[in-house]
Amino acid sequence: MTQFSLPQNSKIEVGNYFKDKTNSQNIRKINVYRWDPSDGQNPRVDTFEVDMDNCGPKVLDILIKIKNEIDPSLTFRRSCAHGVCGSCAMNIDGINNLACIKSHTDINGDLNIYPLPHLKVIKDLIGDLSTLYKQYESIQPWLKVGQTGKEIQEIKQSQKDREKLDGYYECILCACCSTSCPSYWWNGDKYLGPAVLLQAYRWINDSRDNDKKERLKKVADELKLYRCHTIMNCTNSCPKGLNPAKAIGSIKKMLATS
Amino acid sequence: MEKQNPLSPHLQIYKWQISSLLSITHRIVGVINTFAISIICLWVMSLLLGENSYELTKLFLQSFFGKFLIIALCWTFSFHILNEIRHLAWDYGYGFDLKIAKITGVLVFFGSFILTILFYLIGRNLI
Repeated sequence: MTQFSLPQNSKIEVGNYFKDKTNSQNIRKINVYRWDPSDGQNPRVDTFEVDMDNCGPKVLDILIKIKNEIDPSLTFRRSCAHGVCGSCAMNIDGINNLACIKSHTDINGDLNIYPLPHLKVIKDLIGDLSTLYKQYESIQPWLKVGQTGKEIQEIKQSQKDREKLDGYYECILCACCSTSCPSYWWNGDKYLGPAVLLQAYRWINDSRDNDKKERLKKVADELKLYRCHTIMNCTNSCPKGLNPAKAIGSIKKMLATS
Repeated sequence: MEKQNPLSPHLQIYKWQISSLLSITHRIVGVINTFAISIICLWVMSLLLGENSYELTKLFLQSFFGKFLIIALCWTFSFHILNEIRHLAWDYGYGFDLKIAKITGVLVFFGSFILTILFYLIGRNLI
């Protein structure tokens, strides 16, 4: 049975309040989800007063400022800071997004920052994505051409065939879409989720790949694919503006018409 | 002391979208409709029991609660019909664009009320 409420050890408590020490006139309250594996406590939400006069425009800038100036124990993943690596995916103001490309000026009122939904929390804003990576591996995201290795010509792809991959190859696997999907919350162990299915479609749709039938057969499963009920939270949250719902719809259509 | 890793909050914090609200409504309404169809079948079967049984159902359906139930069911069926058209379009591969999905969603929501009124008017022989 699906559990809609949080388990006992995950109930969120009120955390610490960090008052501003810079005497700034432009203060914003930032609520951040915290959980420390070493102290045996339940997760809590800490509130930080941040001086917005001396802060960059993105949510990630706020987090880095908090880490540098207020609480160095705040833990989050980040790398490129330009929306390319997908490390800093988190739930910002109720919607999954990349902290590095989301402007905090777009959000009114206090800013709420949580880790990606329905994941095992490792620390603070870091969720455990190992299930998703395993599922990604299961769709075999590489070109299967059945070559002998003795070919002397490269595999060519026409411009038109290449264009078929537009809107799919851009996926950076930040997991914003998969962790926004209620179906994935309830059946995350069996349902592949939007991110992996979009990737599956990208390989099914590649003109150079020779394993299309086998790939389709593998994904055609009541739980793996058809748990998608076109809720479209995935498309709503994708920071790269891609459309996983459409990719899943295309796979379903391919299966229905093949 | 090490503690088991908590689960990050999901339903509790995730912001509702038009699409997700319509999706959950579609499912709830679908369950209600399944029950409604069974009840309508039972009602039709109860006619076999004769005039008394017919009068009793009529009395119930003419009460305030009965009328409320009928209009509510008109809405649940309207909503389900319209949203199912949306699902059919998706099955054909159309309407996945975020903007279009939002527009059709809003259309379904308002359309369901218009259809309810139409059902009611047709039912009362007003048009």
